[in-house]
Amino acid sequence: MKAPALSRGAWLLGGLLWLVATAAGFALLARHALTPGATLEAPSSWPASAHPPRAKGRPTLVMLAHPRCPCTRASLGELSVLMEHARGQLDARVLFLQPEGTSSDWTQGPLWRAAAAIPGVTVLVDTGGEQARGFGVATSGHSLLYDAAGRLRFSGGLTGARGHRGDNPGRDAVEALLREAGGVGGSSEHAVYGCALEEPPEARATHTP
Amino acid sequence: MKPTEDASGPTVALKERAVLLFHEHLTTVRRRTDRLFAGLMLAQWAFGILVALFVAPYGWEGKDRALHAHVYAALFLGAALTVFPIALARWRPGAVSTRHGVALAQMLWSSLLIHLTGGRIETHFHIFVSLAFLSLYRDPWVLLTATAATVADHVIRGLLWPESVYGLPNAEWWRFLEHALWVGFLNLVLLHAGRVMRREMREVAVRRAELELAREREEDKSAELDRALRELSGFQEHLIRVEKLAAVGQLAASVGHELRNPLAAVRNAHAYLSRRLSRDAIGAADDPRVPQFLGVMERELGACAKIISDLLDFARERPPALQPCPLRPLVDEAIGVVPSRDGVRILNEVPESLPVPSLDKEQFRQVLVNLVQNAVEAMPQGRAGQVSVLAEGGDTGPWAIRVVDDGTGIPPDVLPKIFEPLFTTKTRGTGLGLAIVANMVQRHGGTISVRSEAGRGSEFHIHLPATAAAQAA
Repeated sequence: MKAPALSRGAWLLGGLLWLVATAAGFALLARHALTPGATLEAPSSWPASAHPPRAKGRPTLVMLAHPRCPCTRASLGELSVLMEHARGQLDARVLFLQPEGTSSDWTQGPLWRAAAAIPGVTVLVDTGGEQARGFGVATSGHSLLYDAAGRLRFSGGLTGARGHRGDNPGRDAVEALLREAGGVGGSSEHAVYGCALEEPPEARATHTP
Repeated sequence: MKPTEDASGPTVALKERAVLLFHEHLTTVRRRTDRLFAGLMLAQWAFGILVALFVAPYGWEGKDRALHAHVYAALFLGAALTVFPIALARWRPGAVSTRHGVALAQMLWSSLLIHLTGGRIETHFHIFVSLAFLSLYRDPWVLLTATAATVADHVIRGLLWPESVYGLPNAEWWRFLEHALWVGFLNLVLLHAGRVMRREMREVAVRRAELELAREREEDKSAELDRALRELSGFQEHLIRVEKLAAVGQLAASVGHELRNPLAAVRNAHAYLSRRLSRDAIGAADDPRVPQFLGVMERELGACAKIISDLLDFARERPPALQPCPLRPLVDEAIGVVPSRDGVRILNEVPESLPVPSLDKEQFRQVLVNLVQNAVEAMPQGRAGQVSVLAEGGDTGPWAIRVVDDGTGIPPDVLPKIFEPLFTTKTRGTGLGLAIVANMVQRHGGTISVRSEAGRGSEFHIHLPATAAAQAA
């Protein structure tokens, strides 16, 4: 192959453009990782329609999860750390979405098994996303902490970015709530990083028979 | 060879050559490393895409799915990180800017892979492995560029998104220094290794320069030797020409001398006959001296013919025409040609059962005739003697043919010269007889030697290789 007749200046310019393009690419990647999912208003007290009912006399954490969202793997990882730090003070449930028209195989995949392996965590199916809607949750990994009295103390994600594990304000807040007041003092809201639990409205309209 | 202070010329040349070789080697290494990184970039690109497809293939919205942003990042950002350094390596191999561009791209690949694996701490080792690879350039400044890129990445991300690099939401501002310290520690090790490698390369360059210089000197010597050999060969050819001219002169003198006597005798006889015939042609028939002089003329002209024949035999370079030739009949034939002499017996003692060798019959008969005749002539006048011709060998072994006489023998001072052309001790002889014998034996691939003892006789020994018998079989 013949060498392109590029001058030193052309290579320098090309290098600068390459640097700018690369920086832009990394910026877009960071923006995607740090862009939180949609959040709705969570009920301030444990909804009566929630099934099964919360554990009596101890805080309950509910995480709504999409069974195939890659970002949720990090959320479950942080939940595992949280449960280890809580030392049995916390009752946790992970509700995996099972959209209409899908089988249990669609839901009970690797993430289901990962969640089920965390001590103190109960894994349940959220058929048709009814529970998610009841908890006012729209993004996978969104976790809600209710105290022993059934009051909402924390609403948000347990990761600091999409799919990134590590210490983060959300998990720190839950741990602080459990540590300082046994889950009854203060409240906290944090951004959630994960996939949407439901299709966009226009897609839902298309899927409706 | 160690350069010496007094030989400043070679020392300077050696140093310059060593520096040149060192830089050539370094450039080769850096070009090779450029190619290595071109391959590595492609491998990282493929690996990045695989990681994205394995870890986060799709993003989901309910049941809907679309390719995850990480897959696009691996494809397109990975392409950008791959193509530019490959282009540099392809079109600017060995250039300073190429290795710095490669270093920058490699460290950015670390960032991308760390991101694609969700910030796993294990992927941070890619930075250290990359630095180790970059040290193959043996250029400390490349490590500096790579380290600067890593530090800049840590500083910027530490300020904007500390979790992605430190795993902590509120890391201290100086945290990047801790990371930079470990990178710097690795750099120290790599710099030391690079310095050792460059030192070894310099030593190798010096040794190569020494070898090249030594080779050049040897080649000069060899050329000088070739030139001397050519000159020597020229001198030798010239000498041969001079010797030939001298030999021709000597031969002409010898032949002239040998021909002069018989021709003088012929002239005298001819003069007498002319006078006698012009005075009384009819009465000349009764003159008893007329047939006597005619006999003299015939004999002397025969001697002249013999001289000319010997000369032609010596000068002719005819290769032997080998054919099966039984030795005993050949010896009989040769003995028959040699003039007999009173009191001298010539015996053919060649066994009849001897295998038949391949010989040139004419040439070998001449050999035997000359040897037997010499042996007969070696007998002192008035004394009885014996000449024997013997032969043995054949089958698969060599041949030995001997002509033995019990004559006066050959004096030791004469012995080394008897095969030289024109050397003779006879009052009437061309000095070509034994030279012809030696020449013909050599043409048969054989050798001839002589052993002699004063007063007891001589023995000529012809040695023929076994191939003569094989060819006859």
